Amino acid sequence: MKRNCKNLLARITTLAVLAWLTGCGQSHEKQAAAPLKPPIRQELEKARPQALQLKPVQVTENTRQTYQWYCAQCHGIEGKGNGINAKLLTVPPRNHTKAEYLETRTDEQLFGAIKFGGLSVGRAPCMPAWEHTLDEGTIHSLVQYIRELCQCEAL
Amino acid sequence: MILRTLAFLCLGGFLSIVPSLSYAGILEDKDCGSCHRLSVEDTKKKFSGPDLHFAGNKFQPKWLKQFLQNPGVIRPAGIITNPGFLQGPPENLPPHPSFLEKDARTLANSLTDLKISGQPLEPVIIEPLSKGQRAKIKYKFERTFSCISCHQSLNLAGKVRGGLSGPSLVNAGNRLQADWVANWLNTPEVYTAKSRMPRYKMDSATRTEFSQFLMTLKKEPASRR
Ligand code: HEC
Ligand code: HEC
Ligand code: HEC
Repeated sequence: MKRNCKNLLARITTLAVLAWLTGCGQSHEKQAAAPLKPPIRQELEKARPQALQLKPVQVTENTRQTYQWYCAQCHGIEGKGNGINAKLLTVPPRNHTKAEYLETRTDEQLFGAIKFGGLSVGRAPCMPAWEHTLDEGTIHSLVQYIRELCQCEAL
Repeated sequence: MILRTLAFLCLGGFLSIVPSLSYAGILEDKDCGSCHRLSVEDTKKKFSGPDLHFAGNKFQPKWLKQFLQNPGVIRPAGIITNPGFLQGPPENLPPHPSFLEKDARTLANSLTDLKISGQPLEPVIIEPLSKGQRAKIKYKFERTFSCISCHQSLNLAGKVRGGLSGPSLVNAGNRLQADWVANWLNTPEVYTAKSRMPRYKMDSATRTEFSQFLMTLKKEPASRR
């Protein structure tokens, strides 16, 4: 039963990822019309229950490619925090292979940092918000990918 | 009679060839199309240089002419679609072809004709920004939206700072059209299939602010040796 559930969820995420890929050029009218909304606490709170619901997310080839395409600009292609922008930022990009630090952060905090940017979780603003670029399924899978990179779990 | 038909045919043939050549002419002669996408239809090839099929929407004509005479570095990290992008510090960027004044002018004119049509540009009125306004937008550029993490810009003292993965914006005020900047922030998908820049949701007032702010950045980059 539990297994089935897991499979279903994995499939849903794959679908979501696919939808994101194909939907890239189309869903923008809606986005363009909506006014600017800076990330606020309540939104982060709202995102949390969902974060728990969608927990068993798989890291796919798509996740890795997404990381390489966007995140590697700062975090580096191996996630060591040494991307091409790294030396020029006021706060260095986090090294995603460092277990000592990432153990102290919950998955929800990592999710929040990616979705709403560094500021939203009390971190530096040099970490941009990806909420309008990546869908939630992709962000969850990125959190799992970072857990793979650090080979660690939240304590 | 035969002569007249011949003349007609010649003229007809001539006329039908001219329009298709008119934009491509010199750009084709100089082989710009081997590295740059020059038309929307041209989707098959992978290009080693940035897309120019909307050069007429994007660049200031005067800057184009200057660039072609004395090309400076705009993307110190290379082109985002190249396989080597981000794989290591880029070394020995090859020099861009450069031209004498006359050719540069003709090339720049041809580039200015390359436009994506039917693109409703929000007109951006460029007003001089007060010091306070500038500081406010600069705060957004650096903190609220993290633009500076990927783009070089100028601090209030005119010093270059910022990341390298995006094109340098230190000379954006001479290089880019204000309307295009606002449009890029609104609908980047019109200009690129997949950007490395995050998508932002911002209202048109904020887009105008960024555009006005970037228009204040005017510093010639180092030229390629
Ligand atoms: C423009 C540069 C930049 C890009 C691009 C970027 N990051 Fe970051 N990121 C940073 C910086 C800088 C920090 C460190 C913030 C701090 O420690 O205050 C950071 C921190 C983080 C953190 C740790 C937050 C914490 O709790 O300490 C995570 C997780 C993260 N980034 C994930 C991502 C992912 C996933 C992507 C791609 C979708 C990405 N980043 C893209 C600059 C960037
Ligand atoms: C060998 C490949 C190559 C050829 C041939 C070439 N270019 Fe380029 N061009 C590039 C690259 C690479 C850049 C990006 C330079 C940078 O960003 O620093 C560039 C940049 C430009 C730019 C600035 C565009 C921007 O977005 O910043 C213009 C304008 C331009 N080229 C025009 C031309 C014209 C006109 C020709 C033909 C006469 C031409 N190029 C031929 C590779 C080429
Ligand atoms: C994570 C890195 C990143 C961040 C953050 C970022 N950009 Fe970009 N930007 C890029 C890249 C890379 C490009 C090159 C085009 C592409 O990716 O398709 C670009 C292109 C641009 C261009 C077109 C420049 C040209 O010459 O082609 C402008 C203008 C621009 N960005 C402005 C901004 C502004 C304003 C912000 C903040 C609201 C911002 N960028 C945030 C990476 C970034």
